[in-house]
Amino acid sequence: MSLDKDYATIFQALQEYVRPEEELDYENLGKLARSFVIKTVNQDENLWELSSSNAQLHFILSGAFGEYLVQGKNPQLIRFYRKEKFAFSEDMILYSARPATYAKCLVEARVASIPANVLMSYVQRSQEGVKLLTGLIELSMTEYRNTTYEMLQTSGTDRINAALEQFPDLLNIIPRKELADYLGISRASLFRSLKQIDIE
Amino acid sequence: MNNDFKKSVLQFFQSLPAYTQDMEAACMAIVDAFEEPVRKKKGDIITELSPPNKDFWFLHQGYLKELYKNKFQSDDTLFNFIPPGSVFVNEDSLFYNQRPQHYFKAYTDVSIVGLKIENFETLRIKFPAVIQLYLSGTAEIQRNRRSRLLMLRMQSTQDRINWVREQRGDLYKVLDRVTLAQYIGVSRASLYRAFDKTGKSQY
Repeated sequence: MSLDKDYATIFQALQEYVRPEEELDYENLGKLARSFVIKTVNQDENLWELSSSNAQLHFILSGAFGEYLVQGKNPQLIRFYRKEKFAFSEDMILYSARPATYAKCLVEARVASIPANVLMSYVQRSQEGVKLLTGLIELSMTEYRNTTYEMLQTSGTDRINAALEQFPDLLNIIPRKELADYLGISRASLFRSLKQIDIE
Repeated sequence: MNNDFKKSVLQFFQSLPAYTQDMEAACMAIVDAFEEPVRKKKGDIITELSPPNKDFWFLHQGYLKELYKNKFQSDDTLFNFIPPGSVFVNEDSLFYNQRPQHYFKAYTDVSIVGLKIENFETLRIKFPAVIQLYLSGTAEIQRNRRSRLLMLRMQSTQDRINWVREQRGDLYKVLDRVTLAQYIGVSRASLYRAFDKTGKSQY
């Protein structure tokens, strides 16, 4: 995939939140898209860590990540980030605080990132920037809502079905171990449930 | 400030992490823009939030159940249990201009107050701090959702009950058993078994 195509994808994703009207807004958004730096992230590498202090906004061009919340002994996988989605630590971006989560690469990925100060400078410069930040936070809130729908199902089978409804490619992208952790069921239960819904 | 609800709304904004002293004027303007309270009886559906309402609502007194149609269960499912002093909205209408998937039902007698979206927009233009308060309020809702997700992934019902008792004591003391079972995402039978096993009662 050419870099130009990557930047076009980033621009399009940003545009969905910002919806620029004036030519100048388009130009500014184009500049913001171009300031993303693209890198490859290998499986098991972290996109951000508990000790990270450099807040960034990421856009996933390919691959998948799991975000783990650390409270108590065991980290809990709370959500996935997949292709063509933005990912960021809310603690760092919104509160300038150390993250309570880390994001681990589950499937080798290509990621585009900008430092938080570049994002914030865009936010402070224009109403479009405010729309972008607001949109990202609202999207994140909706994703938590969708995950809550999945977790409110009382059986493993219903949890899988609810998750597939939100994320149809789930079983092709996310490894089974992480999927079981995410759904809060054992691997044996996951396989039993998948058999029951005739997927395995 | 004479109205009791205005004090509660002000307290809500002052308790947000983003709040600083220089936002006081913006907070006061928001408080003044709220309409007069609407009272509902226990069991009433909050029809004020019917589509296409995009207003912001503040629960001044009482408790609300936020419910949604669960495709995998015959009854509507409890999505959230809202204590007094909280802001609630039609997320689908407000964020995406879509028909709401959720509705609100009074768990006790309640008093709610609304801030019209048009008034919010006027305030947003006049006071830049309004957007910071909005973002902070939204982020707090997310933080609560994130925290509750940890509980919903716990495999033992007893661990989930303990989480509500320790982390959300304010809710635990008012939730009846049916609503508690829904809040922690287990069947009523599982909840009763958990209480029987430990020999402890809820309260």
